[in-house]
Amino acid sequence: MATLEQPLEKSKYRRAGRWFDVRRRKAGMWAYALNRITGIGLVVYLYLHLGVLSLLSRGPTSWDSFVSLARSPSFLTLDVILLAGFLIHGLNGLRVALTGFNIGVKQQKVLFSALILVTIVALTVAELKILGG
Amino acid sequence: MENQLEQKMLNNPFAREPKASSGWLWQVFTGVGLVFLLGLHFIANHFIVKGGLRDFANVVSYLRNPIILVLEVLFLVVVTTHAMLGVRAIVMDFGLSDRIEKRLSQALTIIGVLTVVYGLWLTWTIIH
Repeated sequence: MATLEQPLEKSKYRRAGRWFDVRRRKAGMWAYALNRITGIGLVVYLYLHLGVLSLLSRGPTSWDSFVSLARSPSFLTLDVILLAGFLIHGLNGLRVALTGFNIGVKQQKVLFSALILVTIVALTVAELKILGG
Repeated sequence: MENQLEQKMLNNPFAREPKASSGWLWQVFTGVGLVFLLGLHFIANHFIVKGGLRDFANVVSYLRNPIILVLEVLFLVVVTTHAMLGVRAIVMDFGLSDRIEKRLSQALTIIGVLTVVYGLWLTWTIIH
């Protein structure tokens, strides 16, 4: 019995993780994998963010000392990574929504390239603003 | 001909969905809403504030603005819904049985509700 179930379980996990392997795949699969990776990262961040915000319930001393720490360059670099996640996930999400409604399906590769370009430009501007103070 | 079609579908994973499920549609609606709400949240809390973060007094006065309060609570509900639907979509790839799928949806609903309740409690505590 176990011998029959084991390969089934293995193939189930392999299928579930197939999206993660983008080797020899086209732009559509890269976009799909990027959307999911950034999505998982953003869910983790959401709960970290809510956890950090609990400092506000402890009053001004706790929060304001965290704010001083968060204004350090290392923290600000994390902000840039976070912003990259938002931009990729948000813009790619809009592209997915459009293609899901059969809009711009044939142009999806161009849209993907455009969103990467917009992400790079927006990130550069934001980086200058965040790290420049 | 069939092989070509299959190959095309493999290249475009989004085309594999037979029809739009209500979960996917909600994911799209909340996603579009988030573009505006998250943009607003990010700009209001990090971009227009000197130093990139509000101090305690600034957070309190910001949240005491009724329009901001409504938008931030709406943001909390929409972002939590979007996150739970996203997690569900990824876990669903494991090919779950109907029973486990139902349990998963129930568990994520509970986690989502608890997240929103926590956010509301936190907001209430900060304002008062």
